[in-house]
Amino acid sequence: MVVPVRERVLSYAILIAMAVLVLIPVVAGSLTAFKPQIIWISSPPVWFFEPTLENFEFVLITRQNWLHLRNSLIISIGSVVIALILGVPAAYGFARFRFRGSKGLMQWLISLRMIPPIVVGLPFYAMFLFLERATGLGLRDTHFGLILTYQTFLLPLVIWMMRGYFVELPAAMEESAMVEGYTRIGALWRVVLPVVWPGIVATALLNFIFAWNEFFLALILAGNNTSTLPMAAGTYIVRARVEWGNLFAVNLIIMMPVIVLTIFLRQQLVKGLTFGILE
Amino acid sequence: MKPDAATQPGGQSLSRRVYRLTQRHRHWFFIGPALLILLAVVIYPIVFSTGVSLFRVTFASTSRPFVGLQNFERMLDNDDFLQSTFNTLYYVVFSVSGSFMLGFGAALLIRRISRGRDILRLILIIPITMAPIVVGLMWNWMLDPLFGLINWFLGLLGIPGQTLLAQASTARLMVVLVDIWQWYPLVFLIIEAGMATLPRAPYESARLEGVSSWMIFRRITLPMLRPVILVALLLRTVDAFRTFDIVRVMTDGGPALTTETLSLYLYRTAFTFNKLSRAAAGSILMLLVIGLISAMMFRFLYKDIEVG
Repeated sequence: MVVPVRERVLSYAILIAMAVLVLIPVVAGSLTAFKPQIIWISSPPVWFFEPTLENFEFVLITRQNWLHLRNSLIISIGSVVIALILGVPAAYGFARFRFRGSKGLMQWLISLRMIPPIVVGLPFYAMFLFLERATGLGLRDTHFGLILTYQTFLLPLVIWMMRGYFVELPAAMEESAMVEGYTRIGALWRVVLPVVWPGIVATALLNFIFAWNEFFLALILAGNNTSTLPMAAGTYIVRARVEWGNLFAVNLIIMMPVIVLTIFLRQQLVKGLTFGILE
Repeated sequence: MKPDAATQPGGQSLSRRVYRLTQRHRHWFFIGPALLILLAVVIYPIVFSTGVSLFRVTFASTSRPFVGLQNFERMLDNDDFLQSTFNTLYYVVFSVSGSFMLGFGAALLIRRISRGRDILRLILIIPITMAPIVVGLMWNWMLDPLFGLINWFLGLLGIPGQTLLAQASTARLMVVLVDIWQWYPLVFLIIEAGMATLPRAPYESARLEGVSSWMIFRRITLPMLRPVILVALLLRTVDAFRTFDIVRVMTDGGPALTTETLSLYLYRTAFTFNKLSRAAAGSILMLLVIGLISAMMFRFLYKDIEVG
């Protein structure tokens, strides 16, 4: 596309201004994580200082946020694994078989993207509580309980994203394998999965981000045993005295894996965020 | 599903029929487990919530009298509920339109540059990758009246320190601005992906005929992007409608409920005031409204594209 010089200069100016507005809070905030306590709140802000890791040491060890890190990892990885085990076959089923109601079911899956978390979070809390009172079976404050509830947003997303990858593959692939004597399951396992493997990885990582950043359901359903990193971040705000350096240390621990993943996943990001509606 | 089942001696026709039956319903073998879990984690809670909303249930009580639609009536009569509904609509209108304009603008502009495009794009989408709670806490720090960067900057301009999050007149606007900051990349990513799929031919012939950029945008780009624009608006609307995380950490609904959203209000009704039934009734109302809004937007969408 040929763009007049004036238009291009203006485009650069506006885009760079926006990038600066994005970067200032992110960079300035992240710097605070490396500042020694005495200059956390100095104004004007100190830009040059000897970086220290003492905030990270404090939050992870003294405040035991490594436990929250561990919970976040268990819950995020666990819920993604379950979502993949259930969702990948379902996506394959939707991609390969036309049956009565298949279209309606897919649309229903999209509609799950619209449900506000409070609508499921509230009954989940009550259900877990009543279940525990009635049977002694505790799902409250367990990793499994949270992993189960996270399926409300992860499972539909996995199905929609993976269906896109399966649809792109010619059905002849499994069919010729089945002619050679594989069962459909065998063909799926030996022939199809190795080809869609990159799609599965992308889907898994993207869903990991959504589970990792989740706050609302964890706030309602997690307790001492399962509290996640986003919840730990909130504990550094106590009215009138905020431990900014510690807070940003936790923030940075939450942000880093996601930003690294995003660099590799930019293409899939759109697919995940739009639920594949755009295909 | 063993192919040799049909050739076994005895009961040939029966096993053949069973084989046909399993063949005809084999999709359930793949889809069934996922559907069962979704029924358990989505449909059942909603049904449960609807049930709870018709009784008077608290977390502590053991007697649960049936009260019909009383909880719904109480909810609709409640000033705080109406206030938080109003606030939520305010968020929807301003956060959606703000993030839409910024994201759409950025998507149009980034097509006009070449060098540095990838790095700029990567920077522009950083906010959407951050956990909303991290974004909220970060902007708390930026907006801090004593040592926040914003007030330091205002100070350089000779403006005295402002408590922007503590004043009823500015708190809601601040929260909306932060929401826009976080979510304009969603619009940006969707519109940019949509524009990448547009055919080139209409543009080339329009340019040859000397049509102005503005008319090209109005007559070619906008109509062709219609479905993409609708998807962006739909997703932004439902996300803005359920805003919770950012408000929870920035203002927690205050001052004087001026930033309270529906999600926050229902959360408080259930967990601070222990009115489970009423919160359930409110959440069902919320679900109905969001269902209505998205159904309307979907109808527009289905006119344009095939889904599923």
